[in-house]
Order: sequence, then C-alpha cells, then structure tokens
Amino acid sequence: MSKLTVTAAPHIHSGASTQRIMLDVIVALLPVTVASAVIFGVKSLLVIAACVISAVLAESVFNLACGKKNTIGDFSAVVTGLLLALNLSTNVPVWQCVVGSVFAIVCVKCFFGGLGCNFANPAIAGRVFMLLTFSQVAGGANPTIVDVVSSATPLEQLAKGAEEIPSLLDMFLGLHGGAIGETCAAALLLGFVYLLVRKVITWHTPVVFVATVFVCYLVATGFDVTAALYQVLAGGLMIGAIFMATDYVTTPITTKGRVVFAIGCGVITFIVRFFCAYPEGVSFSILIMNILAPYIEKWTASEPLGGVK
Amino acid sequence: MNIRKNISTLHLPHNKHTAGVSSIRIAPPQEVVLPLSMHSGAPAVPVVNVGDYVRIGQLIAEEGGNISSPVYATVSGTVKAIEPFEKPNGKSVMSIRIESDGKMEKDPNLAPPEVHDLDTFLAAVRKSGVVGLGGAAFPLWAKLDAVRRNTVDTVLVNGAECEPYITSDHRMMVENTDMLVKGVELLKKYVSSDKVVICIEDNKKDAIEKLTKIFAEDPRVEVFSLPTIYPQGAKQVLLYNVTGKVVKGGQRMASLGVLILNVSSMTKMAEYIETGMPLVDRIVTVCGTAVKQPTNLIAPIGTPISYIIEQAGGLKEEAGKVLIGGPMLGHAQKTLDAPTEKATNAVLVMNKKEAKVYEPSVCIRCGRCIANCPAKLDLSAIDRAMEEENEEKRLAMLEKTGVGQCIECACCSYVCPAHRPILERNNEARAFMKNAKKKSEGGK
Repeated sequence: MSKLTVTAAPHIHSGASTQRIMLDVIVALLPVTVASAVIFGVKSLLVIAACVISAVLAESVFNLACGKKNTIGDFSAVVTGLLLALNLSTNVPVWQCVVGSVFAIVCVKCFFGGLGCNFANPAIAGRVFMLLTFSQVAGGANPTIVDVVSSATPLEQLAKGAEEIPSLLDMFLGLHGGAIGETCAAALLLGFVYLLVRKVITWHTPVVFVATVFVCYLVATGFDVTAALYQVLAGGLMIGAIFMATDYVTTPITTKGRVVFAIGCGVITFIVRFFCAYPEGVSFSILIMNILAPYIEKWTASEPLGGVK
Repeated sequence: MNIRKNISTLHLPHNKHTAGVSSIRIAPPQEVVLPLSMHSGAPAVPVVNVGDYVRIGQLIAEEGGNISSPVYATVSGTVKAIEPFEKPNGKSVMSIRIESDGKMEKDPNLAPPEVHDLDTFLAAVRKSGVVGLGGAAFPLWAKLDAVRRNTVDTVLVNGAECEPYITSDHRMMVENTDMLVKGVELLKKYVSSDKVVICIEDNKKDAIEKLTKIFAEDPRVEVFSLPTIYPQGAKQVLLYNVTGKVVKGGQRMASLGVLILNVSSMTKMAEYIETGMPLVDRIVTVCGTAVKQPTNLIAPIGTPISYIIEQAGGLKEEAGKVLIGGPMLGHAQKTLDAPTEKATNAVLVMNKKEAKVYEPSVCIRCGRCIANCPAKLDLSAIDRAMEEENEEKRLAMLEKTGVGQCIECACCSYVCPAHRPILERNNEARAFMKNAKKKSEGGK
C-alpha cells in the first residue's frame, strides 16, 4: 500500500473556494454586462475590456515586481476591473479607465497586502478617485437604443429640477443616462438572485441598504412613494447595494454587523443625495462605511454561546 | 416540547450507505491490541501477565485513577505482550496484546451484577467498562455519578449520529431494541427523576418509528425527532435543540438537571447489567469510497483495522486516507495497524481523489465560519489573537474570545472557501491557554 494521507480533521469539505466565489460574482454581473452593451452600445464593452485587462495586468505586474505569488488566479482582480467599469460611463476615455484600474488594484488593494487585507473596496475607491480626478466619469452618456433628450443622469436632472425625467419603467429597464452598469435594475436584480441562490451573499446588506434609502426618502418627501421608488432605481444604489456593499473584505464579518453597515450606507446615501451638492452618494457612503467597518465589527462581534468562561 | 430554531445549520451529505445493512459478527481476528487508555482519564493498570490465558469478559486491566475505566479481554487466548503502542498522534500508549485461540470462549465466572439501589447501579456501570461510545470516551459511570450531586430531571439519550457515513448507533437502536428498552428503564429508575428523551435525527425513520411505538404508553419517555443537521449530536447543540437550555460559562450540564448519554453506551450498560458481559465488542461501520462492501461489523474491541477492512470485502480502489471515526472528526491513520477502541464507531477508507490536500489561501472574511459555528465563536478574533507574538497579550486576547467553548465540530474548516485550518487553529489556541495556565500555576 502506498503512503496514506494524514491530515487533521475535517476530512471532507464543502467544496467552496475563493475562486468559485469570485467566479459566481462574475456570473452574477453577466446580465448587467450584456444589458450595458445593449443599452449603451459596444462602447461599453470597450470600457469593460480596458478596466478588466488593466486590473489583471496591474496585479500580475505588482506581484512579479514584489516577488510575490501571482494571485490573479483567484479572479478577484477581474471582479474589481469589471465592477469599476460598470460604474463608469461610456464617455470615459480608455486611458482614464486604465489609470483608475491601476489605482484600484495597486494603491487600494496590493499596497495593503492584497486580497483580504484592503480596508476599502478597490472598485469604489477607484471610482471615487476618478470622480475627483477626471470629469464625466459617471454621467453624460446616452443610451444608444432609445432617443433620450437629456445627457444628464436622472439624479442630475432631479437635482437641477428638470421637468421631464424618465418613467419608472424606463428606470427599471435602465433606459436612461448613467454609468453603464448602474442603470438596468432588472439585470442587477437577476444577478442578486443568482448570488442568493449560490449563497455567495445573504439578503441582509442589499435589502437593508435599499430599504433605508427608501424609508429616508419616504419620510423626507412626506410619503411620496413614487419619488422614493425613483430614488431606489436611480443612480448606483442597486449595483452598490448588491455588489459593492456586500464585498466580504471591507465590510463587517457578522450578519449583525452587516446590517448596521447597510443602514449606515443607506443613511449616508440619502444625506449626500438630499442635502449635498453631489447628485449621487452611493460610492461615498460605501467608502465611508468601509472605513468604519472595523469599529462596527468590534461592536457587533459574535458572542460565544453561554458567554465567555 | 416545542421545536425551536436550531443553533446548528450545516447540511452535510449524509452518505449513510450502511443504514440498512444489518451488523454481522466477524470471524475472530488472530490478535487484538487493547490500549490501556481507550477512555478519557487515567490509563487502566494491567492485572494479567504475559503468558496468561484469558477468556472473553475477563478483567485484564483495572481502573488506574479517579476517572478511569477497566479493560476486559475481548477474545480468548494468550497475553502475548504488554507494551507501548504508537497512536497516530505520535503518543505511545501501553497496550495489552492478546493472541486469539480462535475459540472465542467466554469467561465462565461472568454473572449479572446485583443492582438494587443507586450505589449498586453506579458500581455496576463502573464495572461494565462502558465509556462514551459516540467518540467522547468519557467513562459512563463518572458521568452518571453527577446524579449524586444534582437532581437530574431529564436524560437525553443521544441517537443523533450526525456524522456522515456512520450508522453504528442507528443499527444499535434497530437491532438491540430490547436491550435499549432495558437501559431506558434503568435510567428511569436510578438517574432521571422525570424524563428520558431519546433524540434521533429524522434520517433514521425506522428507529424513530420503532421506538415511538414501544414507548407510546410511557409518559416518562419521549422519542424526539431532530432535523438532520450537523452537528446535531454535539452535546451543547443537542441540549439546546431539545430543551432550549444553554450551559453558561463555568457551569456543568448536570447543574441544569440534564445528562446526555450516547445510545450505544446506554445499551451496552444494560447488556452488562442484564447478562454480566462487560464491554468487549461493538458495532463498527466500515464505509468510504474505497471500501468494496460497506457494512456494519460487530467486532471485538482491539481488532486491527486492516482486519476490519478485509472483513468488509477489502478495497475496490487504492486507499488515499484511512479514518477511525467519521469524516468530520475522525483521525487519519498512518498505517492500518491501529486497533479499534471502545469509542471507535467507524472505519472509513477514502480514495486518492478524496484525500487531496488543499493549500490554504488568505482569509477573505466571508464570515461563513462564524455563521456556521454552533458555539457562536468569533473565529476571526481567535485567528487574530494567535497572530499576536507577545504571549501575555495573546493569552489576554484569547481569553476574551471564549475559544474554550469550541465544541470541535469542524464546521468552520468545512465551510472555509480559503481552506484555512480553522479548527486546528482553535485547538492550538486552547493548548496554548492550557499551557499558560499550567505555567502560571507552577510559578505560584
């Protein structure tokens, strides 16, 4: 008999892997990726390709330069690149996409020790970096399949007090201006369902995040349900709540902590949208809550059954 | 009793392939090896010498300390050696080696013990050599002894058998029902002031039906069907899921008025009190992807696992990993020389593919370990504490985590997508705390 394997228990495994989780996130983003190409034309695919390729290359080169094991096989760089791209508009030139991706991967993720060690969501931080550095990052692009008069996003239109804004159905289908991956709520929800079925995430963060924004607007508008629904469908709330606020690394580890995190995100999003000069607050809210996550975690840590002996 | 939210959550593939396979008594092995510490507590002390002729049921080693358990000859034959035997964890254990004469003769002096009150009952349990047969191996008498200090109103008879593959408790319940009933009667008489609850996972329908029918008229006995969730049979989990009670820090379970004992232990205890035959054999499930004919065998304790596997038709493919116990908690063996012990409920042989070892990668903080921990431990905090180099700080950090309450169910490692050895980390943490405590006590 050849040598027997001797390891510590357990001797079976759920089969889950980091790679599989990242792959599931990519699969969940496929509907919205396709939707972005349909709504905004092939130019959106150019943005996606630029971000994904530069993100993967950046991680590869960084690891090589530092003599570290190459980690692109875990697909987390693909997820970062794809998420960043979906948060940009088709107006963004390719070189800016590359700069944003490299910043996200190298400065936000690799400098802090790579996957599992970064304090902020790389895609969000990359987007905010681009928002502050370049113009025309999120808004400004029009859907190519429908005739839209304004080139502004619905939130910009609302902020300016525009008369004509897209209908709720158009908002749900994504037929309005904005970042390529944020507009089509239908496709994002499809991805959400997939993530739930695959048990990659639980419902808590996205539902609580969106519900908080909804309730805040209900109260602020004197219970105008249509206006509150509009806020739910507009801007990056859906993609942020489903895909960015659920990032494991940069959010609290317990369900309780994640609920607190989501409420915080919702409240900050509401504050920025309602009171501040910026029309959109999802990115800022998640970034701020990323920074607060370790404190929330301390406060919401799992209590041993029966208390500590 | 109401069904409440279960604290355990994990659904494992059961793989209870041998659930319907009646247990068969194997032909006597040529030799048995009986380690003197097949139980937790002090090792037993030999009372035979090399060259002695012994028969089944004859005492060969007596209790060696406050908490200990006697060892009986499990085959008839000659004591060949009393020597150290190396366990898979590297520790050597004194063992008695008996060469079988193939006759399987019983000790003619065996007689049922006199049991008429609590003292004689506990003395009998002590003599039976029965320990926690589900794997814990804690001497049964020592557990039941709590009845002297606490009023025990409920005894939970643990027939959950939540580990995949293993069906030895299941077969015990279905095949030795008469003895089981006698065991329940003894518990009603001497241990429990109120209820005896037989707890069975709902994947063992035949056992639940059979026992429900038998105890239908008995208001003091309840057959409790539990959802098939791992680790349903862990005592903290079972306690909560059946009674809703939780053992608080520093408490003993008996102080809550509850005792939990394994169903096979109880049945074997009854067998001794009825027949006078102490614990000399048990049902062992032989299964796993590499085993030709998965089955249940009644084997003398001390039978080498190589012989056990042979009796199950041998292997159909190359062995990758051989386990004593289940796939979640069992011990991987270096060789097939190890004997079955009192608490050995299964021998599993996995093929090469299943034995693949994965490299751990970085923690991505998905939180699955915490979400699936029945003891609700903050495993990330334990991990962080173990990274701390300053030993004093590490100890202080670990004490806050409650890692001592880890029930070693291995759910954390099972679900970890990064294949991190979380359970091993917990074990290291507890060993570190134990050592630190010893050191500080030694310094005083």
